[in-house]
Amino acid sequence: MRGFLPVLKKEAVQMIRDRGTLQFALLVPAFQLVLFGLIDTNVKHVRTVVFDQSRTQESRQLLNDFVNTSFFDIVAYAPSRAALKELIVAGRASTGVEIPPDYARRRVQGEPADVLVLIDGSDSTISSAALAAANGVAFARSFSELARRAGAKDLPIRTHPLLLFNPDSRSANLLIPGLVAILLTFSGTLLAAFAIVRERERGTLEQLMVTPASPVAVVLGKLLPYLVLAFAQLLFILFLMTVVFRVPIHGSVPLLLALSIIYVFALLSLGLLVSSRAKSQMEAIQLAQMFLLPSIMLSGYIFPLSSLPAPLRVVAQFLPATHFIAISRGIIIRGASFGDLWHSVAALLAIAVVLVAGSTRAFHKTIT
Amino acid sequence: MSNTGPPAHPSGPRDDGIVVDGVSRDFGPVRALDKVSLRVPRGEIYGLLGPNGSGKSTLIRILCGLLAPTEGRASVDGLNVATQGEEVRRRIGYVPQRFSLYEDLTVLENLNFFASVYGLKNADLKERREWAIHLTAIGPYRDRLAGQLSGGWKQRLALAASLMHRPRVLFLDEPTAGIDPVARRELWNLLFTLAGQKVTLLVSTHYMDEAERCGRVGYLYLSRMLVEGDPADLTKLPEITPEGTRRVEADCEKGAAAVMNQARRLPYVEDVTIFGNALHLLVKADVPDAKIARDLEEAASAKVTIRPIEASLEDVFVRLTRIQIEQRGEIPTAAGAPR
Repeated sequence: MRGFLPVLKKEAVQMIRDRGTLQFALLVPAFQLVLFGLIDTNVKHVRTVVFDQSRTQESRQLLNDFVNTSFFDIVAYAPSRAALKELIVAGRASTGVEIPPDYARRRVQGEPADVLVLIDGSDSTISSAALAAANGVAFARSFSELARRAGAKDLPIRTHPLLLFNPDSRSANLLIPGLVAILLTFSGTLLAAFAIVRERERGTLEQLMVTPASPVAVVLGKLLPYLVLAFAQLLFILFLMTVVFRVPIHGSVPLLLALSIIYVFALLSLGLLVSSRAKSQMEAIQLAQMFLLPSIMLSGYIFPLSSLPAPLRVVAQFLPATHFIAISRGIIIRGASFGDLWHSVAALLAIAVVLVAGSTRAFHKTIT
Repeated sequence: MSNTGPPAHPSGPRDDGIVVDGVSRDFGPVRALDKVSLRVPRGEIYGLLGPNGSGKSTLIRILCGLLAPTEGRASVDGLNVATQGEEVRRRIGYVPQRFSLYEDLTVLENLNFFASVYGLKNADLKERREWAIHLTAIGPYRDRLAGQLSGGWKQRLALAASLMHRPRVLFLDEPTAGIDPVARRELWNLLFTLAGQKVTLLVSTHYMDEAERCGRVGYLYLSRMLVEGDPADLTKLPEITPEGTRRVEADCEKGAAAVMNQARRLPYVEDVTIFGNALHLLVKADVPDAKIARDLEEAASAKVTIRPIEASLEDVFVRLTRIQIEQRGEIPTAAGAPR
């Protein structure tokens, strides 16, 4: 371990002096956190146009039901079906409701009345939500109508859904715990890769290798300051998350921090692995992207794992981010304990061990 | 320990600072070094010459333990570089071609860092650091960032950083490339000071005047050591001035370039090189000075004085390179007249 302390001290001085690295580590997460904290992925107030040919009390009642879901906002009335469609094509509205002229008559005579709902299919989030909401409105009105005719006071079955952990279904509560993992993934991997590649690029690594400093000491001494920085970044993100965005941590904070260390180790090793292949910082970014992109897309951060095709679900299991997102969501949102998460922890630990061993070997090879 | 420099060390198994014996190095299909051998006695300065890409840096990197030789054996201060790498690294200093200290650290921080990597501590570290600062006279810049130093001062800093652990062998890869003549002279004075303290030095360079100051020189050409030895001995090699030829200097009052063109046309002139207002000629031995002067004056329309000279080190390398080109059947460069 000769040379560990001098390298550590030198690296810390360089890190503190390097404004770019510090900004990358602290400002970028803050910015992303603000962005994601303010995004609301719950679909509400979808712009809706109406072509009401009935113009009766019954038709207005139905439209009121639509508005009362707070999902549909009626923004315009169209004079024809063509005009209705035109408004959706033009992007002025995402849904259109057409009520036929005989709507009120059929309702009064107890015949089934048809209502056409046009949905813009170009946005899958909105279209699936609109479909469900429109069906819901029709079912609710139909059921109460049937119940009234049958003389029943109430429906035979009533559901009482209770949204656990996130009663207001705030997107921030769901997104930010995943974002914690993604931000760490970026900074952990890139900081470590840059730290080594920068020395290779400038020729200082070679100078270091003609000294009696041991390669392991050099790597550890170089990476430790970045481990501390990544950890500081994690604390900073958690602070912003709980204090500014009011996302509560339901589980144990020490457990979350302890498991984060394993994750950061895996990331720094990955950065080291990247650095043993890359000759320049540019090349390092490109190589790291090959890992970072799947970490965002396949880790369950954006799409649920269950929506991935089977081969990609296998790939996801090899990404440390997948397991850490499961851990961080588990602890922060559900208040999960170590016992609840042990399989994710075991997988993360296994990946970390393989990465540490692999990257140390790869680094050894490149310097000799 | 006094602060007068590296102390006299007990002699190693042999009194050689560096021994290279039949060392080759391949990079894939490319042979960067081909059975190179050389020997540097302790406390001597060895000049390594050769065109770019001839293998100088590869050889130095092998001797520093940065690269393993594909074949052959190399030892530094009596230690095998391939098997005793760690011990070798304790005893050597390396100043690479490209400045490779930390530009975002100050001169003092760089020196402290390297001293502590070599295991120097506290009072010892401070004493060695101040010695190196004094030797290289870099004191006025101690708090400046290394990146803000000029080329010459960067080279001094690199040298200072490589000296604090009292290396017994020092490798310098083109240390004077791109620095001004005064700084170049001062750097060489420093190298001689070190050699005087029994430090063995291996210096690669492109400058003939630097080569002539070295105790021994070697000339690498296309991965092979063409010639190796004392500079004075090399100039007396039979190939340099083949039997039946001699070397003369033609001193022209003016128009040396025109005279050179004339000289090239003369059947008895084997080789011409221009030095300012003078030409160095390799001519057939049986042609008298007076005839040469007469023939050259035709072109110069001015007086030409002929006097016999010894071959220079540059003549040695130019001559040997041409012989190589002829033997390998390569297309000679524009300057190399085929014979």
